[in-house]
Amino acid sequence: MRVTMRKHTITAIICLAGALVASAVAGASFLAMRKPDVIVNGPGVSEKKMLSDWFPGLKGTPGDTEVYILKGADDGASMLILGGTHPNEPAGHLAAIVYIENVVPKTGTLYVIPRANASGFTANDPQEGAPQRFTIQTPNGPRVFSYGSRATNPVHQWPDPNVYIHASSGQTLSGSETRNLNRGYPGRPDGTLTEKVCYGIVQLIKQQNVTITVDLHEASPEYPVINAIVAHPKAMTLASDTVLGLEMQDIKISLEPSPVNLRGLTHRELGDFTDTLPLLMETANASQGRLRGRTDEALVLTGKDKWYVRAQKLGRLYVPYDEKGHPIEERVGRHVTAIGEILTSWNLEHPEEPLEFENIPGYEDILAKGVGAYLLPAPAK
Amino acid sequence: MFYIYLAILAVVLALTVWVLFDTKKFSLQVTAAMVIVPLLLRLLMIK
Repeated sequence: MRVTMRKHTITAIICLAGALVASAVAGASFLAMRKPDVIVNGPGVSEKKMLSDWFPGLKGTPGDTEVYILKGADDGASMLILGGTHPNEPAGHLAAIVYIENVVPKTGTLYVIPRANASGFTANDPQEGAPQRFTIQTPNGPRVFSYGSRATNPVHQWPDPNVYIHASSGQTLSGSETRNLNRGYPGRPDGTLTEKVCYGIVQLIKQQNVTITVDLHEASPEYPVINAIVAHPKAMTLASDTVLGLEMQDIKISLEPSPVNLRGLTHRELGDFTDTLPLLMETANASQGRLRGRTDEALVLTGKDKWYVRAQKLGRLYVPYDEKGHPIEERVGRHVTAIGEILTSWNLEHPEEPLEFENIPGYEDILAKGVGAYLLPAPAK
Repeated sequence: MFYIYLAILAVVLALTVWVLFDTKKFSLQVTAAMVIVPLLLRLLMIK
């Protein structure tokens, strides 16, 4: 009897030790994601602030995030670029960083929030098998970026309700949407962490009187709104001109009106609750799709996936898909170029209040040289 | 609500450890060990 007890106690201790070792290894891996990506101040960056400077309720929370300010020599209109609203949509995050590290405003002011949902970058979605990070090769060495979660880290906002009720409209969605930044606008100062971030962004837009807001996203290839601009009704003229400009560069893009009954999104609420002209843009990201195969860094960077090629042949996709995939260069290039076209369209319509940026990388150049050619050397550790 | 959730989590973790040492079935011990990992990571607010 004593021998049997001793044996199962020994195996229990071994199993517990194994669990503790596994917890330590996994825990170290998860904690490493909390270290923010390196973003280098480009020649146009005049100031770096935090979102809590506009809404102090965020100070010291995981929702507080960097706001890069690029101020031109002459006064003009202003633009806010939101990258990383969904941290598992890397082209939006990278396009915002390309603007920070390259662009020099001549007239007007550019605000860039590259990690709009900073908390979402500290974890990735369970059961998705997604990589924690990906590497972009640059002429000065590799730059590593986080591949995060679509939503706020549940460690920072928990538990989820069974049903998420959007505060200002009463719209009901599944409970986990309570952590989706792009379902929380206009936000609440006393709401959840996600709603506080939304509120902070709205305060920035209101206090700085931001003229145009561009929210950069990616979508699954089987999602109908893809390679598209979604515009609030009051931004529709600007968006239409932008689409024409892109089509003239042979960049196929569709224009979608912001649905009136889909609440909490930037393209709806920022237009309804502030004076800004809100636009949201989507590119094709296989690594977040439901039909994808192996989800690794290569898929994030190349978009090559045989299952999506097959789905395309079956007519199940809303975007062309072949063996070439949709590489990160194409996706970042689309966002960067589309923002440039928004500026061109704005300046044509509003020459009295210009918004002129220099050194915006061209679409063909990004395709040819890669995104890495437009990333600055990271400072030595 | 958050602290109630953590308290429930701590109780479930303690029960799982108790099962690990109480059972004589090795497969159940391995199962309990695997269950401990996510419970512990959440209790420490790591994942």
